[in-house]
Amino acid sequence: MELFLQQIINGIMLGSTYAVVALGLTLVFGILHIPNFAHGHLYMLGGYVTFFLVTLYGFGFWTAMISSMVVLALVGMFVERVVYRPLRNQPHINSFISAIGALMFLETFVIVAWGPQGQRIPNPYPNPIEIMGIILTQQRLLVIIAAIVLIILLQLFLKKTTPGTTIEAVAQNREGAMLVGINVNRVSSMTFAIATATAAAAASLVAPIFMVSPSMGALLGMKAFIIVILGGLGSVPGAICGGYILGLIEALGGGYISADYKDVFAFGALILILAIKPTGLFGKEAG
Amino acid sequence: MLKLKEVTTVIGGFAAIRNVSLEIEKGEFVALLGSNGAGKTTLFRTIAGVLKPANGSIEFKGLKINKLPPHKIVALGLSLCPEGRQLFPQLSVYKNLMLGAYTRRKDPKGVQQTLEQVYELFPILKERRNQPAGTFSGGQQQMLAIARALMSKPDMLLLDEPSMGLAPLVVQKIADAIKSISKEMGTTVFLSEQNANMALMITDRGYVLENGKLVLSGLSRELRNNDMVKKAYLGA
Repeated sequence: MELFLQQIINGIMLGSTYAVVALGLTLVFGILHIPNFAHGHLYMLGGYVTFFLVTLYGFGFWTAMISSMVVLALVGMFVERVVYRPLRNQPHINSFISAIGALMFLETFVIVAWGPQGQRIPNPYPNPIEIMGIILTQQRLLVIIAAIVLIILLQLFLKKTTPGTTIEAVAQNREGAMLVGINVNRVSSMTFAIATATAAAAASLVAPIFMVSPSMGALLGMKAFIIVILGGLGSVPGAICGGYILGLIEALGGGYISADYKDVFAFGALILILAIKPTGLFGKEAG
Repeated sequence: MLKLKEVTTVIGGFAAIRNVSLEIEKGEFVALLGSNGAGKTTLFRTIAGVLKPANGSIEFKGLKINKLPPHKIVALGLSLCPEGRQLFPQLSVYKNLMLGAYTRRKDPKGVQQTLEQVYELFPILKERRNQPAGTFSGGQQQMLAIARALMSKPDMLLLDEPSMGLAPLVVQKIADAIKSISKEMGTTVFLSEQNANMALMITDRGYVLENGKLVLSGLSRELRNNDMVKKAYLGA
């Protein structure tokens, strides 16, 4: 029972960060209609920015995280401007290639600049706490709470504010959005800023628990795709549920069978779910 | 109010409209007739800034607009209710309408007034304001598209084939609404139609577009009696 609860908590923690990263990816998908392959690598860069701010410049954890979000928002806007916007009216395959170029550039840049080895951010809240017989560090609890707060804030922004509504409008009908007077380029830019800033937040939150390394982005980016496909491309509730489902599958599979296979469970689940429901859990029927 | 000079728009290497010149004064109600593929939609999309003309100039209220992006043109007071409606299907009717007023978001009082006006024009939209636009029937979607275009309080409204695919009874309703937009709200209206019968009954004058060229223009009542128009568009 304790093992089960422990794994559930781990699953929720993993799932929370997955959900945040996948949310950004699904928002950008809505705008571009192609997946941003570099999303995981921007997440990685966010982790590094926090790492350097904490270790080299002595920032507190929270100020470092917020600064990293600001820096990555700017990086995201830059990526949209130079990697995607010039290819807006070209075949999608061009954007795919450009995206792969961007992710290779980011990963190689980080390896050359800061080395291939993993780095650890000193854990700001290392003390363990005990809830219902399970022990977890405060940092793990914080990841869960902060991620849920982020998800709720993002939902409120999308549903209740005018700028948030413009993101949905552009995703649902780009030309309709232009014709009501929305500057679609500005909306694209804003969507990238939000997506990369939230990815940076997720990376910063888990950095004290896992590590930051140049390769952390590739695997997470891949998982975020699984989640977005699992939940239905472009679907916001799909990304949130998909994130938690994947986190729980990994944690339970890893805990009960073998941690070495946790990625096998994740990708296996993708194949299984798509075989049963090809449009994803929350996907709209094609056509 | 709107002045086109020798406008040519090229799509995929093909000039979909060629050397189109026309002028519409403030308060006029003008029809654009033409069969399928004549270039009506291309002309409207060019005026609204979605397409950029290869040649010629477009002036609106004395300003050159042929190089402006669509969102700037809407802000100047020229609104296009596009072919295929281009609504936001998963958003509610209310949100669709509020996005229509996006350029006026700093004037919530004025937006509220316009909202009441369009609810009066199409009461069904008020009744179903919380329903997603995608669940509407074709006629209701067309009403919503027209209403959304009106929310920006345009000085000039371009309507691209509002009767397309609708039952005759619904077409009549839409025609009545367009008439009151022109006569009661005082909006300048440029209406593109394949349904020449309907268009010539309500408009003051009209242009005929054929293979991308304007071939005829005149008062609507004269066009109704023109042999060529009769033969090609009125089925007489």
